[in-house]
Amino acid sequence: MTTSTDALTLPVASVRPAAASRRGRVAALAALPLLLFLLLFFAGPIAGLLGNGFKGEDGGLTLAHYRHLLDTPIYRIVLVNTFTIAAAVTVACVVLSYPLAYLMATVSPTVARVVFFAVLLPFWSSALVRTSAWIALLGKNGPLNTLLTTVGILDQPMAFLYNFTGVMVGMTHVLMPFVVLPLYASFRSLDGSLVQAAQGLGAGSAGIFSRVILPLTSPGAVAGGIIVFMNAVGYYITPSLMGGPAQRMAAELISHNITEELNWGLASALAGVLLATVLLSLWLFNRLFGLNSLISASSGKGTNTSGYRRTPGGRVSVMLGVACALFLLLPIVVVIPMSFGTTEFPIFPPPSYGLRWYENFFTDGKWLAALASSTRIAIVVTLLATVLGTAAALGVSRLAKRHQGWLDAFFIVPMSVPAIVTAVALYYLFAPIGWVANSMAVILGHTVLAAPYVYITMRAALRSLDPSLELAALSMGASWPTMFRLVMLPALIPSLIGGAVFAFVSSFDDVVMALFLTTIRNRTLPKLMFEGLANDFDPTVISASCLLVGATALILLANLLISRKKEH
Amino acid sequence: MHIANDILPQRPPERQGKELTLAGIHKRYGDSIALPDVDLTVARGEFCTLLGASGSGKTTLLKIIAGFESPDAGVVKIGGRDVTHTPIADRNIGMVFQNYALFPHMSVFENVAFALRMRRQNEEDIRRRVQDALDLVSLAPLQDRKPGALSGGQQQRVALARALVFTPDILLMDEPLGALDKNLRQSIQLQLRRLHQELGLTVVFVTHDQEEAMNLSDRIVILEQGRIVEAGSPESLYRKPASAFVAGFLGECNFLPANDGVLGVRPEHLRLGSRLAGADLRHAGKVVASTFCGVHWKVFIEAFDKVILAYAPLDVESAQRTPGQAVTWGFHPADAMEFANAA
Repeated sequence: MTTSTDALTLPVASVRPAAASRRGRVAALAALPLLLFLLLFFAGPIAGLLGNGFKGEDGGLTLAHYRHLLDTPIYRIVLVNTFTIAAAVTVACVVLSYPLAYLMATVSPTVARVVFFAVLLPFWSSALVRTSAWIALLGKNGPLNTLLTTVGILDQPMAFLYNFTGVMVGMTHVLMPFVVLPLYASFRSLDGSLVQAAQGLGAGSAGIFSRVILPLTSPGAVAGGIIVFMNAVGYYITPSLMGGPAQRMAAELISHNITEELNWGLASALAGVLLATVLLSLWLFNRLFGLNSLISASSGKGTNTSGYRRTPGGRVSVMLGVACALFLLLPIVVVIPMSFGTTEFPIFPPPSYGLRWYENFFTDGKWLAALASSTRIAIVVTLLATVLGTAAALGVSRLAKRHQGWLDAFFIVPMSVPAIVTAVALYYLFAPIGWVANSMAVILGHTVLAAPYVYITMRAALRSLDPSLELAALSMGASWPTMFRLVMLPALIPSLIGGAVFAFVSSFDDVVMALFLTTIRNRTLPKLMFEGLANDFDPTVISASCLLVGATALILLANLLISRKKEH
Repeated sequence: MHIANDILPQRPPERQGKELTLAGIHKRYGDSIALPDVDLTVARGEFCTLLGASGSGKTTLLKIIAGFESPDAGVVKIGGRDVTHTPIADRNIGMVFQNYALFPHMSVFENVAFALRMRRQNEEDIRRRVQDALDLVSLAPLQDRKPGALSGGQQQRVALARALVFTPDILLMDEPLGALDKNLRQSIQLQLRRLHQELGLTVVFVTHDQEEAMNLSDRIVILEQGRIVEAGSPESLYRKPASAFVAGFLGECNFLPANDGVLGVRPEHLRLGSRLAGADLRHAGKVVASTFCGVHWKVFIEAFDKVILAYAPLDVESAQRTPGQAVTWGFHPADAMEFANAA
């Protein structure tokens, strides 16, 4: 904020006399609702699901399902595929993120804002929207093939979809921001004078990169890499929409086993493998960086170290960075003219323009119904997640440090567990009691997903509150509730809004939970779009995607303008 | 040590601060003992500085006085009233934080008015008293600004006004001038001194800067590892320190070996060459370096296997401050301070 933050302030630990620490312990109870909620609707169901993986036909404990996974070639291949593709995507994301993060960290603030927009817009657009954009782009009649055949590089359209290329492109595009952002933070904290020192000592660009930049930014890269790997391993929508049979990943197989084979034992075993991988990755992340770093408030507004002449390597990196930014932004941008095409099937360039498919979106009952369903569900989820997450953040922040650790971890885990695992576990529990049909299950599932976002946002906000403000108010005679109302709350409201927006967007954009936890009557917009992409290629999906991108862009712009006003 | 009331000008009774007494204060954090056993009395209207290095316990002591921490043992009394377990809000203490702790979302006026609103004063009184407080620190024209739009010095003065507006029994200040540049610091120090004399406050001021302590205080309390090493007026601590540690802590001091202990001699009492007087004790040495400091020359002399610092007048002969030259230096025995042990 505004007052100097590098001076010594009073430490946070045990700053209150006896009476207030009692109040602190009572306030810690605020974390209980979310704790119970997650135990009931996350930990419990998943434990139940995993239990299935160990249950034999006779009802006794067995490892048969897990053995089946390893013995049967097809399942082995899928498991190997899963880890291979996840690893390949991780490497691709890290490699591509380096020039982009370098670009973002070393340009002037105005240009950086534009680049940020280019990174954040895809990041905030749902994975489904981005996947649909890529399907439109990479199709046999899509812009890329048209460009390549027209220019003469190719004789006939190449298959970019339904193969390894498709999956790599799609997943890298969706997951890249998870590396770009921590890597950017690492670059930001890199002391620019180190590069000058290296230059003065005679290092060339390659030397500077390998000896100075790489070692100092590797924490950001490794952190992002772990997050990408965790996500990629459990990914469902992009591989199933953009990959072929040879790229089948574990999540798809889980779905197949439940919806078609009705083999819960095997599906649970697969879910167990995914869960184990994710927990291992989280443990590794915690060992290396501490889960705290996911919570810590990062402002990215450090001192600007530019103003020195770039090395030749730096100039190349800038060009590569621009290319990567374009890679992130282009699909979304190119898809816009396609959405105004009027043909039965999306073609680029569209032979004729019109609003046919936009009209279809607003007139066809099923699309509007899906939109209404999504909105209704998202609003309830936002309220629930914001209340639970904020209360939990307040409660945990009042606890002693040694208790905070495992609560932080528990509240973050639902975010990292593959959505397919949570979705399937809730389906198992709630379908029999009719909660799928009445949207209760999907609301609970989305809240499980969204509450951690709110929790992290509010924890970071509470962390960055100047503790001496609280003491100052108390020392001038304010009671604790008055102090909270007049001093803490105004400072927390921006983060509260941010967390609520996070919750809304994550509920609105979710596909996987909607696939399992809604019926044809209350299906959400993403589910309808998924069906539109998986079965045929309904051009309404493209128009719907553009509408969503437009809405996202508006939110981002609004946020940009508000934060600009604050600076003045 | 009391400041006799008839020396200082009379002030309106309701503006006088109260006496502060700390008895047997003991505070530990886990296994480490921050304050083993502290006894301290600050008289009404006294400006008392807690001086010490980082980790000496001065901030802990301040927090105990304010109520931000409670002592594991001991009693805190303000104006004779036991406040050891009184909540922060009820102690009527003004506090100026090191980072000012101004509420960023409130204007300067609202920041200063905060304490008065908590005390349910009516709007008319609030406006008048805030105006008076801001006039005291010459910031009335800026009352509608937010803290973010103020410079460091201005923020500091707002913090001061906010702490004074409700006439606290005691004013506590935790290294408030640390973030300011030297000129600003000196000007605010002067303002603080004036305010203290005008208002007759009891002030407890924490700092690690001994020059600042000497500029501001009626009494300095030197802390080291949670214990009070010595307390006294700046002049008595400087002229007649009880230990070599205190001698070296305030100002510069040279320590020379003596038969039973050490001798402390301040640089301003050392004379060189022809300036030596008859009764002076003389020693030989070699000039190592000399720097011009405006008011005097600093001459560094090698003797007794260490470097001695002497302040030489501006018209000292150049030979006596040229590096490499042999020089005779000395001091009057009365200017030497005898200590049993080194610091």
